Amino acid sequence: MAAAIEGVRRGCRVTVIDEGPRPGGQIYRQAHPALPGEEFAEPAELDRKHRLLSAFQAVVERIDYRAEATVYAVFPNGEIHLAQGDRTEVLRPDAMIVATGVREQAIPFPGWTLPGVMFAGGAQSLLKAQRVLPGRNAVVAGCGPLPLVVAAQMLRAGGRVAAVASLRSLRTMLRHPRSLWRGRSILLEGLRYERTVRRAGVPELMGYVPVRAIGGERLEAVALARVDREGRVVPGTERRIACDLLAINYGFVANSELVAMSGAEMRRDPLIGGWLPVTDDYGRTSVPGVFAAGDGAGLRGALVAECDGTIVGAAASLSPTAVDGAALRAELAETIARRARHLDFQQAVRATLRLPIGIWRLVTDDTIVCRCENVHSSEIREALESGHRSLNALKRNVRSGMGWCGGRTCLHAIASLAELATGEAPSEMMTPRPMVRPVPFAAIARQKKAAAE
Amino acid sequence: MTAEKFDVLIIGAGAYGLSCAWWMAKRRSGVRILVVDEGEFASGASGRNGAGFRMQWGLDLNIRLCQESTSFFETAAEQLDYPRGIELKQDGYLVLAHSEKALTTLKGSLEVQHRYGVPSELLSADDCIKMVPALGRNRLVGGTYCGKDGTISPFLLLDSLLKACRREKVDVRYGTRVERLERNGGGFRASVSNGPIEADKILLCTDWAVPELLASLGLSLPVKSLPKEAIVTVPCAPRVKPILISLEHHISVNQVNRGSIVFVVSRARDGKEIASTPDFLAFAAPKIIDFLPGVADVPVLRTWGGVSSLTPDMQPILGETEIEGLYVAVSSFRGLMTSPAVGRIMSALILENDTNDPVLTKLSPRRFQTGELIVEPLLNQE
Repeated sequence: MAAAIEGVRRGCRVTVIDEGPRPGGQIYRQAHPALPGEEFAEPAELDRKHRLLSAFQAVVERIDYRAEATVYAVFPNGEIHLAQGDRTEVLRPDAMIVATGVREQAIPFPGWTLPGVMFAGGAQSLLKAQRVLPGRNAVVAGCGPLPLVVAAQMLRAGGRVAAVASLRSLRTMLRHPRSLWRGRSILLEGLRYERTVRRAGVPELMGYVPVRAIGGERLEAVALARVDREGRVVPGTERRIACDLLAINYGFVANSELVAMSGAEMRRDPLIGGWLPVTDDYGRTSVPGVFAAGDGAGLRGALVAECDGTIVGAAASLSPTAVDGAALRAELAETIARRARHLDFQQAVRATLRLPIGIWRLVTDDTIVCRCENVHSSEIREALESGHRSLNALKRNVRSGMGWCGGRTCLHAIASLAELATGEAPSEMMTPRPMVRPVPFAAIARQKKAAAE
Repeated sequence: MTAEKFDVLIIGAGAYGLSCAWWMAKRRSGVRILVVDEGEFASGASGRNGAGFRMQWGLDLNIRLCQESTSFFETAAEQLDYPRGIELKQDGYLVLAHSEKALTTLKGSLEVQHRYGVPSELLSADDCIKMVPALGRNRLVGGTYCGKDGTISPFLLLDSLLKACRREKVDVRYGTRVERLERNGGGFRASVSNGPIEADKILLCTDWAVPELLASLGLSLPVKSLPKEAIVTVPCAPRVKPILISLEHHISVNQVNRGSIVFVVSRARDGKEIASTPDFLAFAAPKIIDFLPGVADVPVLRTWGGVSSLTPDMQPILGETEIEGLYVAVSSFRGLMTSPAVGRIMSALILENDTNDPVLTKLSPRRFQTGELIVEPLLNQE
């Protein structure tokens, strides 16, 4: 949204392609207008949401805004292929900004595929968009700040939370006092969520992770155990907690398939989203005309993303020489400084997100890792042992990543399992191919092509 | 730098390269064989094709190679000691004609097939639609069907061959590119990224890339590269039991056991690019819907590309080149389905100088200088 606003401000013709039904994305997801307006988030967060949404609404008339439209492929020639309704369309813009955000990461422990186990952010989305509590009695488990936020919001929505299991205490952030000071307003929001959880008397289990989800047809309980610094389960610490919802979040993975398909150079940084496009300060990738902004270019949170959108939106509106000139830097100085300040706070957040590689031992041999193709951890280990080390070779061997989701859910788990088994993570991402989302033949046959320029 | 020494160096670890290596190792123990491949496991054409095998061809040699290979696939799990199996599925191939001319070609080929005992039969358009209701009536005039044709998993065939080769002490190395070949006394020397290799004999199994390697020894072969693209859908209810090919649509269709439907669509194009092209889907979708209206609503899951080889008579090239000890095996886009027979024949030629197989006389690399070329008619090729 921020990039589009900036593009319009600079006189560009802007098209926004949005998978959602309404603007907002994950963080500022809007409920259906017919639903009651009650929100469970902190007022300051809601203020930010409404401010950005209003700014976007103010220019939306001048934007070609496509709701419920999906980009299913990007090509190195600059084409964007999108599906909307029962047809498809090819766009060929002068510049494209890929702001596809992140998805959540799970550690596949035994039973994680049981109905009732879901991502914490997914549970939060149901609350935000549908005003639905996905469970009556929840356990929230994960790392970083999200589990606490989700637990608090579920409590505020009238749910019961049986426990919050955090891999690391948020006090880890105290090691970065300067970052905390610079991000004090966000910190205060966090503390209010923490207070909600504490006042409700929800037990906080520090250093605990789910080792097993228990249930027949659906989730009935979770077995949690404490892990040491290397991620190894400490014997004798297992405890069982009854619940009908287990909301998990073990970090985030960038939705970087589209930007990779453009031919952009990629790098891997597991702490901030796995495979990411190599970008400069202005979001420029190695491919001229292709930009990346927000969490999809590296996990940095909503506040950085908004500044990033403005900066990258400005750069994408200008010629490369204008971007390199001193004038733009001066003009954007305040936004660049703000982004740096918010980024500094993220250093503290990152300390809570780090996963020790040993934690992937929670994935037992008989655990399904790739849900689409039903691939068990033992099969992946055997393929690794017979020398298939790259994600592409593993895919050809055991089909991991070949199914419906194209590896969105499992590939980072597989990369981590490879690192655990061989001491080395695969260097290349699995070759991203069209389609990023499935589209019927009939819609492809009804294709509108961009006018030749 | 001292060179590593081998009896036979095979370049290319696809279906041909691995099958030849395995047959050689089986034929004579103690032979030192090295297989190198510049890519990783199954990253070339053998891992990118439509997975089918068929005995329905119009020329005797193609039929014979595929008959022998089909028998091998039927018992591959035991022969290669691979209990998991190679996902053999024999639901038949239905070759369709959408014009009287194509039907005449099919009928002519059927006669040749019957001469060799292929259990194929002629079907009316009605019979074809009865067999596959998703087909469009649109111009369809008939087809031929052989229930013994089918599919295997290319990945599992390659994995079973790789494991069998390694059990027989064949050295298989991926990520190893041969830059250049030169003669070295009676044998050869290969410049490889991580050190030179000397071998008494060399077999080139790099398919469309064979001419590049031959050029370093001053030889040429009329082999062209032909990029192709494929589409796989999300899993859906069974709609297409046999493999379908349409000579006029240049499409093959295979619904795998998991429910996904795989389409390989040909379109005339040069190059060696395996990447999906931007306009491919829009080119293929209307053709697919015209051919098989019953799949219009099925979502496409993914596309991929591959490069196959193309020879002037659309038949494989198998045999020794003008240079003694230098052999080639070029598939002409049917490597996977002929690999067992080719492995056996080439291993006998290379290790025992057995030139008796008529395949070797007719498919020799020398035929392009002397012989009259007979073109395979049953092709799904634009």
